Amino acid sequence: MKKQKGEKKGNIFTDFGTAVVKGDWAVKLTLLWMGAGYAKRKQYGRAIVMTLLEIGVIVFTLRFALQYVPKFNTLGTVVMEKVFNMQTMKSEMNDYDNSFLILLFSLFSFVIWFVAAAVWIANVGYVYKLQLKAERGEKLNTFKQDIHSLVEENFHITLLSLPTLGVVVFTMIPIILLVLVSFTNYDQQHMPPNSLFTWVGLDNYLSLIGGGGLTVTFSYAFVRVLGWTLVWAFFATFTNYFGGILLAMFLNSKWTKWPKFWRTLFVITIAVPQFVSLLLVRNFFSNGGIVNTICANIGLTGFLRDIGMISTSYIPFLSAPGWAHVMIILINIWIGVPYQMLIATGVLTNLPADQLESARVDGATPAQIFRKITMPYLFFVTGPTLITDFVKNINNFNVIYLLTEGVYTTTNQLMANSQAKEVDLLVTWLFRLTQDYYNYKMSSTIGVVVFIICAVFTLLAFNKVTGGAGKESDYA
Amino acid sequence: MKFKKVMASVLAVAMAASMMTFTVSAEETETVSLTVWGAEEDQTLLQELCDNFAAAYADYAVFDISIGVESESTAKDTVLTDVEAAADVYSFASDQLTSLVNAGALANLEDYAEVLEAYAGKTLDDVKSANSEGSVEAASIDGSLYGFPRAGDNGYFLYYDSTKLSEEDVATWDSLLAAADAAGGKVGMTLASGWYNASFFYGAGFTTDLNDDGTTAIDWNGTSESGYTGVQVVQSMLEIAGNSAFMAIADGDISNQIASGDLVAVVSGTWDASAAAEVFGDGYAATKLPTYTIGDEQVQQGSVAGFKFTGVNGMSENIGWAVLLAEYLTNEDAQTQFFAQRESGPTNLNVAASEEVSANIAQAALAEQSAYGVVQMVGDKFWDPTATLGENIAQGTLSVDDEDGIQEALDTMVEGVTAAVE
Amino acid sequence: MRKRNIKYFTHNLVLAILAFIWLIPIVWLVCTSFSDYDGMNTSTFFPKKWSIRHYIQLFHPDTVQQFPAWFRNTFIIAVFTTIISTLFVLMVAYAMSFIRFRARSFMMNMSVILSLFPGVLAMIAVYFTLKTFGLTNSYIGLILVYSASSGMGYLICKGFFDTVPRALCEAAKIDGCSQAGIFWKIVIPLSKPIIVYTVISSFLVPWMDFVYAKMIMNAGISENYTVAIGLYKMLDKSLINSYFTVFCAGGVLVSIPISILFMIMQKCYVEGMTGAVKG
Repeated sequence: MKKQKGEKKGNIFTDFGTAVVKGDWAVKLTLLWMGAGYAKRKQYGRAIVMTLLEIGVIVFTLRFALQYVPKFNTLGTVVMEKVFNMQTMKSEMNDYDNSFLILLFSLFSFVIWFVAAAVWIANVGYVYKLQLKAERGEKLNTFKQDIHSLVEENFHITLLSLPTLGVVVFTMIPIILLVLVSFTNYDQQHMPPNSLFTWVGLDNYLSLIGGGGLTVTFSYAFVRVLGWTLVWAFFATFTNYFGGILLAMFLNSKWTKWPKFWRTLFVITIAVPQFVSLLLVRNFFSNGGIVNTICANIGLTGFLRDIGMISTSYIPFLSAPGWAHVMIILINIWIGVPYQMLIATGVLTNLPADQLESARVDGATPAQIFRKITMPYLFFVTGPTLITDFVKNINNFNVIYLLTEGVYTTTNQLMANSQAKEVDLLVTWLFRLTQDYYNYKMSSTIGVVVFIICAVFTLLAFNKVTGGAGKESDYA
Repeated sequence: MKFKKVMASVLAVAMAASMMTFTVSAEETETVSLTVWGAEEDQTLLQELCDNFAAAYADYAVFDISIGVESESTAKDTVLTDVEAAADVYSFASDQLTSLVNAGALANLEDYAEVLEAYAGKTLDDVKSANSEGSVEAASIDGSLYGFPRAGDNGYFLYYDSTKLSEEDVATWDSLLAAADAAGGKVGMTLASGWYNASFFYGAGFTTDLNDDGTTAIDWNGTSESGYTGVQVVQSMLEIAGNSAFMAIADGDISNQIASGDLVAVVSGTWDASAAAEVFGDGYAATKLPTYTIGDEQVQQGSVAGFKFTGVNGMSENIGWAVLLAEYLTNEDAQTQFFAQRESGPTNLNVAASEEVSANIAQAALAEQSAYGVVQMVGDKFWDPTATLGENIAQGTLSVDDEDGIQEALDTMVEGVTAAVE
Repeated sequence: MRKRNIKYFTHNLVLAILAFIWLIPIVWLVCTSFSDYDGMNTSTFFPKKWSIRHYIQLFHPDTVQQFPAWFRNTFIIAVFTTIISTLFVLMVAYAMSFIRFRARSFMMNMSVILSLFPGVLAMIAVYFTLKTFGLTNSYIGLILVYSASSGMGYLICKGFFDTVPRALCEAAKIDGCSQAGIFWKIVIPLSKPIIVYTVISSFLVPWMDFVYAKMIMNAGISENYTVAIGLYKMLDKSLINSYFTVFCAGGVLVSIPISILFMIMQKCYVEGMTGAVKG
């Protein structure tokens, strides 16, 4: 593993403290006017950039943030009212509050202020460093050199700023927002813009674990959905993992004629977009679908009915608990194994040839080679992906949603009362809660719980696989 | 903006001599943009109607109407996600009314009555009296109208193949199933939906109602006015579902099953008229739903009288014009065209009384069944628990003899249906 | 020799059987798309009457299906998504692999933590963010949704970059090459397989997604849909009976180019993995 140089530089806050205490008047003025220190040292380029930045933040605060942030503690109090104006043929509305926008824009403001504060602190420290440099008589960077540093020692700033901005706006802020929503009563009774929602503390978490006095039994459904989510993630991950390895080894075997041809056939199934292939398969196996027709024609349906495995005139492949659970895992093998096969093929071509050779010379059987060399090697290389796959499967929305949404009706009356189904994963359940019931508070709460489960699992598993923390893993 | 205005007046002055009239009219009319959502199948007709609307009101404004696709059955899902982004005028199924009103997604039409009087020359009472009483009742909350009734065909009845089943056969479920078995066909109905399976309960005198706070009142686990118990109804349903000639069809799969040709009779609505007509051919017939047996009595199966309304978004910018457009899309002429082009069953009494409508086999059956139809007033929490009850009956998870089990299932269902809205 | 032949034969027979099972639904898709019947055929596996009518229908848009427009929209979105995503992934991967800076491990940990949240949950917030900037119902909105966070998917690429010999970079540095120069002139040319992999996998995203697209393209203007939402909506209750075969035909047409790209991608993926593992 490579050494990480320069990651410990000294605390940014102590730097700031020293700068404020020991800096000259220009450094102190920098606390107010971020360009001051540079202006004194005749670094006008930097001075202008910093001043513009500061003006930008102030304008943003006055023109935008102050409309929303002061209402953050109540999430708004003015309910919308409308009066129709016959002359303009339009409704005139009062200056009403929209709780969701208050939440969203306050969050945006917090993020911007946070970044601005960090820049401000770092800026003061930097200006102090300039002062020291100047006192030592060293030459200061010109603005041109500053710009040039962006393709040299500061190249990572150039590289990372846009991608980071994207992640912050499109992933981080939405996630924080929904964590916040889980502490509010944002649901169908409290939907902006028509009505307001507000903070309710931990109520939603209480109703998820059984308190809160809800008549609908969220906790009942939660435990069952969580159970199936974990069972599913386990089977989906391991069937695909070992299925993929077996298939790859089977294809790589010297007995295989035209391995490329066979591989291509398997890959076709994953090349068809999932929404096409899964929606198709769902109709394929539906109660009145083609498979049921065939099974009825060959007498399988009648046979199963006779031995009491089904009580319906069709085989409920995707519509009865048990049947649906097994079918979903099987169908997931269908679309997942070829993918794992590709990965395993890549890894298998890298098997340490010398070890294999010497094992063969020593007279090891193929089974022994597989157990002693191939598997440990595969596990070493792809072990960490097992963990990430497990987490991905906990959040595997597509397969479950496309196979069951709209066709599976739960037979558990208590689950139905919480809009859950036996085949739901936590993610599909929360998706339905938002899409059909606008129960954003509960789905956010479930989302946070999913995150905690995934995080705990990932931490534990990584420690096991990588043998403890402190070691930088390329998969982390 | 200023520059444009200056330019415009300069041009106007320059061209005044030759084109006086043109400049004047261009200055006076404003452009009103409106969006309309309707079902995919209705797009062509909607375009036509909107063009007519723009022409009819050309004296007041220039209209820029764009038409989008949103099926009546899913309107609520899209509208409630973001009311502000939803269309100014949209159509929806009657069961979505309360949720939409609660979210402020439907304007109270009483507030805009004067617009109708001023521009369309009719009062809201004229609109109410022009449409069937049931449709107006279903479109109103506390006496205020929230949507213009457009179609009254969102209900179901029985299609059958008259070459294989006689009129006597389709009178009761017992004879229907026996005759279908003899003919080697099946009778299909959706059970896993509170919209369909409520028909058995409504028939036996059970009710549902909507409380002011959006919760549902339901009495299916008790005894109805007619003296039947919910357990008895479920037992009757189990008897029907357990018959080998009965086919429980998943919600939404009905037209496929009709097309497959295995069915000789099916409970469905006007939207499947063409599919049924094609498969049953000369035998294509439709009638009211049969009676079913509780103990030794015959009970007429009820049904849901569902409607399609066209409403105005409460957040619409040009809400006055939107109200006028919504009214225009649902008036007598529009409903006549909807019937002629889309076979949509009218709520307008004049259109409904016309010869064409009464001669239509499906519409006639719908009218026949409407005597037993109930305007289904339920909240959002109604659907999942009742669907599950239906699925349990369809899959035979409940057993006829286990009265306690049935009672428990009904109690749990009622608990879920009556739960507080969140 | 006989025994050998039998083993040889059974081995390939098992493969054939497996491949057969794997291909049944795909064969059904292709067969159904050539059916003369509009709805879903549930009585026989093969269509009763064959026809290419529905493929022709795809190129004659009606109010429900606008396949050529959908294909064009998706293509445009996919091209821009690809450009942005690929750049982002390469940039992040390079920074994480070659440069050691203060916030590096913090950022890497952060990306792991963020990826543990269920993405569908963030959808509503993303929607309102886009709406604030007036970007709903626009290509730009969708492109941003698909590409803005793509930097988080840098891991495979970083794994590959880690195998690029550092000596090469050191030599270039001595020759006076800047960090940016090393990135463009040395690392990028060496990384063809992983770039092709990144390009194709980001190109495929808009073709597969129906959840975000459905939410952001919510004006109901069929012409603006992407292929995924357009086809998905054809299976609506009221349409499935008249559009199921068209759906299958559309599915086949979309799958062909995607399959070809996928074949190229899997080749590059295996090469990329091979490289990554060696290091």
